[in-house]
Amino acid sequence: MSIRVLVADDARFMRKLIREIIEPEGFEVVGEAADGRAAVEEFTKLQPDLVTMDIVMPKRSGIDAVKEILALDPTAKVAMVSALGQEALVMEALQAGASDYIVKPFKPEAVIATLRKIAEKDA
Amino acid sequence: MDLAKYRTLFLEEATEHLAEIGQALLVLEKDARAGEALDTVFRLMHSMKGMGASLGYDAVSLLAHRLEDRLGEWRGHGGVDDPGGVALLFRGLESLERMVAHVRETADAPPADLALLAELGIPEPAKKAQRLP
Repeated sequence: MSIRVLVADDARFMRKLIREIIEPEGFEVVGEAADGRAAVEEFTKLQPDLVTMDIVMPKRSGIDAVKEILALDPTAKVAMVSALGQEALVMEALQAGASDYIVKPFKPEAVIATLRKIAEKDA
Repeated sequence: MDLAKYRTLFLEEATEHLAEIGQALLVLEKDARAGEALDTVFRLMHSMKGMGASLGYDAVSLLAHRLEDRLGEWRGHGGVDDPGGVALLFRGLESLERMVAHVRETADAPPADLALLAELGIPEPAKKAQRLP
């Protein structure tokens, strides 16, 4: 059975890229969100197996969104999507309960390995 | 994965981002402490950095990264507090527009804007590395 993923990123380009990388590898992108607020709403509606969450987004940052998602569901699995220079924000997200992180620009093998590791954790 | 097929999406989204940055800079030109406009430019520069890096357009990602760093400093100060700061952002915007036009016209990676990069300075990690014995 495929792993159901919600992709949260304000850039269409990045959402499409993540979809392209993960869908041939047994993941199904069941929803997309372009800001932090929509990410929380879509998470509640779709109940995905895992979420990829960009950090810098409008309306509500990825950090705030991950905190809210984990408050709603402490077992939620969220992979932060970070860029160069965001180490402090990644640490904050991990301390808040994010499962792991992937780094832009994406290395497809690393993205797949990280998401698979998160999905299989306590599965 | 064939990243070249993402060029069209990059061009569409980068063009939208740069137009939105231009609108936000017009707001900052009138009020250098306009927080929402500053946040918008910061976020869109961050996106430009990520998109450029994903397609190997290092000139785009490097310049957007330097501008994002500078914008981050200004956000910490509550506004653009350098004289000429907004003008610098406009120059950054024009440079990024030229790079996107280069991609559109040639389908190749654009050259770096070395003059503007030099003006934006060396990033902190590189400065620290230089100080090592």
